[in-house]
Amino acid sequence: MSANNKNIEKSTETAAQVEPVHKAAEDQSYSAIVKRQFRKNKPAVWSLRFIILIVIIGLSADFLANEKPLMCKYEGSTYFPVFREYIVDLGGSWPKELSSIVDWKTAEYDYAIWAPIPYGQSETDFANANYASPLDDQNVKSRRWWHWLGTDEIGRDVMSGMIHGTRIAMMVGVVSMSIASIIGIFMGAMAGYFGDEKLKTSWVNILLFFVSLPFAFFYGFQIRSYSIGEAFANSLFSALFQIFVGIIIFTVFIFVGQLIAKGLNKALKLKANTNVPIDIIVSRSIEILISVPRLLLIMSIVAIAKPSIMLVMVIIGATSWTGIARFTRGELLRVRNLEYIEAAQSLGYSEWRTIFRHAIPNSLAPVLIAIAFGVAGAILTESFLSFLGIGVEAEVATWGKLLSLARKNFSAWWLALAPGFAIFITVTIYNLMGEGLTDALDPRLKQ
Amino acid sequence: MFKYILTRILYFIPTLLIITLLTFLLSQAAPGDPVETRLQGGQGAQGGGMSEKQAGEQAYIDMSKKLGLDLPPFYFSLGSIAEPKDLYKIFRKKERENLARLINEYGNWDRIEPYYESIKAFEVSLYDIERDTNSYSDLKILKEGINNLLNTYEEGKVSNTLSNMEQAMNTVSKLRIDSNTIIEKNYFESSIPAFTAMRDNYLAIKANPSVWKTNIPSIKWIGTGNQYHVWLFGNKPWFSKSKDPSLKGGFIRGDFGESYLDGRPVSSIIKDALPITMSLNIISVLIAYSLSVWLGVFLSKRKDSKLDRVVSIVLFILYSLPVFWVATIFIVYLTTNEYGMDWFPTYGLFSNDLSDDATFWEVAKDGGAHVILPILAMTYGSFTYITRQMRGSMLAVLKQDYIRTAVAKGLPDNKVTWKHAFRNSLIPVITMFASLFPVMISGSVVIEVIFSIPGMGRVGYEAVLARNYPVLFTVLIFSAVLTMIGILIADILYSVADPRISFTKKK
Repeated sequence: MSANNKNIEKSTETAAQVEPVHKAAEDQSYSAIVKRQFRKNKPAVWSLRFIILIVIIGLSADFLANEKPLMCKYEGSTYFPVFREYIVDLGGSWPKELSSIVDWKTAEYDYAIWAPIPYGQSETDFANANYASPLDDQNVKSRRWWHWLGTDEIGRDVMSGMIHGTRIAMMVGVVSMSIASIIGIFMGAMAGYFGDEKLKTSWVNILLFFVSLPFAFFYGFQIRSYSIGEAFANSLFSALFQIFVGIIIFTVFIFVGQLIAKGLNKALKLKANTNVPIDIIVSRSIEILISVPRLLLIMSIVAIAKPSIMLVMVIIGATSWTGIARFTRGELLRVRNLEYIEAAQSLGYSEWRTIFRHAIPNSLAPVLIAIAFGVAGAILTESFLSFLGIGVEAEVATWGKLLSLARKNFSAWWLALAPGFAIFITVTIYNLMGEGLTDALDPRLKQ
Repeated sequence: MFKYILTRILYFIPTLLIITLLTFLLSQAAPGDPVETRLQGGQGAQGGGMSEKQAGEQAYIDMSKKLGLDLPPFYFSLGSIAEPKDLYKIFRKKERENLARLINEYGNWDRIEPYYESIKAFEVSLYDIERDTNSYSDLKILKEGINNLLNTYEEGKVSNTLSNMEQAMNTVSKLRIDSNTIIEKNYFESSIPAFTAMRDNYLAIKANPSVWKTNIPSIKWIGTGNQYHVWLFGNKPWFSKSKDPSLKGGFIRGDFGESYLDGRPVSSIIKDALPITMSLNIISVLIAYSLSVWLGVFLSKRKDSKLDRVVSIVLFILYSLPVFWVATIFIVYLTTNEYGMDWFPTYGLFSNDLSDDATFWEVAKDGGAHVILPILAMTYGSFTYITRQMRGSMLAVLKQDYIRTAVAKGLPDNKVTWKHAFRNSLIPVITMFASLFPVMISGSVVIEVIFSIPGMGRVGYEAVLARNYPVLFTVLIFSAVLTMIGILIADILYSVADPRISFTKKK
């Protein structure tokens, strides 16, 4: 509803400013019009540039702030420790000479090129521990080693934390919104395309679905529960892999059940005449999810597992698909009555092909709006959770965690300002993006 | 209309059921043993005598009954045919989980059960052993061994423990009776049969595995005597006045259980917390709506003026400001003398030094000073949002033909705005009330945690951290009900504001 209102507001506001420009040479395709509209919205264009900047900082965080030198000559040979670390993370090993280095800062290099911020996110600089202010004297060799945003209680560089926090903020957006989009688009498309009446199936299918459900759950998750648990204790990657395997086994069982049902239908000559009220099911689950206080729900899920920022992102994604589903549903309600869908149906394409190849691609544009606002919401949620210290590993720096340090020592003003400002700017930018997209995609503005 | 409201209220039921299921699932998946938390890790008497051990065990059982944890979790259980139906009768959560692992490993409950019982029998037999300086260290090894056996399933670890224990069992101590006679004595002779039985039972588990059983699913029906049912509907007969602590009224009869931490009834915790959150939220909503509706109309009439542009930008910035940042800034800069702006109290709802016989005005003044910042932080977000929406919808309405007609026929400006345009532009703003409600309840978690206000949000947050599920359940369900009521009220107001919308079907 509220999104709809926003449309009304925006359309009335901008319609007056945008004079109809009719140029015969201009491309009149929908995407070209959208692009033109978007470019007219200066704040949105700037937001897009800023998002690109965030992505660049996020991707290159290791090269912007690192306690290891980017390049160094040590005992006669040249190394690239920061690059090397990626190889080590992938299962490689440090060269023998380097592995003996305990402290990267004090090792005697022939020469070394340092990252712009020569501090790691969890590196402690004992000489500047106990809240070194960026404006007062710092105990550093030269300006090159200055803590531009000060340090925290145990001497971690706040600037480095901010840069690595950018990566987390970027990942929160990408990971949680990908999950939310997959769930939301699927649910919304089902509800919008089929409604309550169009999805028909025979009672055998429904029966076999409920029969195969316990089997699928048992073989997919229950007998593997111990290995899944162990995978969670090891690493999130292996846990995700185990869950993925579980989902595949689950799907296979459900699928086999439906295949048997298909055979039975043919043998018994049953007709698909039972309605599956898919719209009601989806709308109801959206309503349920909205009614539960999301923050407490996410907290209680995160609190029973080991702290992991990835898990937080996954759970935020899994609980914030409602907006996307509503947008998709609304779009598909419109699209399903258009001629080209009728054409696809009359060509004998299967329902699934019609939905995924024809209906969904043409209704994705408005979903972008929900995603843009969703990213802002996800970043806010994640930073508040890490502000409370829930679900974030000790060695990971996030904006929310840095902000929470301000509550420990009120005199450290830089800890209250920098991370909060970063969260604010990022959220503003995604909100501006969302508004810009709302304007640009509004079909009423088409000339 | 009445029928519509009734249907909507009936719709609450499935929603609430699913929320209870969801939270119940979470509580089942949570690690840790609430009974032990409640007994404060009271393992009964470690190393104590038989009676103390039994007393500890009894305390554990009593507490699990009191918390309703002595029952199987749900109406049915999905498991393999190797798992027995009555595994829940093993009270200690850790032991139960370990037995489940053993079943998963070997699949022969008919062998595992005697093994478990023989461990317990061996433990009992140890109480008859004479305790003195000679037997002390071996006895300690044996008791630790028993503890290990009850908590490990891996073959290597179990065999290791068993062989360690066997060594301790076979220790022969030399006792000096007097200066000449030394007799050799094995303290553990009386326990040896129990030990061999235990070891043989373990070997029997390994010798006759039936792992195939773990791969065949079975659904076991348990019935209404389960944790979920008792928690939700209770097991006390209706209208009975029995005071038996193991009989519960159930959630729907207002018996919310008691806190895992201190045994305080959840209903009293909620009774303290709910009014605080409710009143803060209501004050905040009233302020936000009364200011922003007016401001929205004001701005829409001065569209594209300098004032409008500046205010719009300010509103957008305010809208994007994260609440917890603003709250932190308030606390850091405005509540201490660090930056010379010690204007407000830092934490809580009232000062600690507020005397009990303070007059009403003193209490009001103190409380008021404490809530100014929280209410400010709660309000600015919804205020900016509503203002922006109000401005937008007013602009849309002012473009309509009937407004032009009203102006053309010479109605005064005021009348056009407030009588003709205002009512119609209010509709979208009212629907926002519905979407505002869940946001506000989440928002009170943020505000209450940061300002240490003992409302529902803070209670819920602390319950999450302490895995205090009775409290968490209640907070979640109360918030859900409040949210749904808020949405319902918004829908009803919607039809009041716009007579074109009706929930009763017209023919």
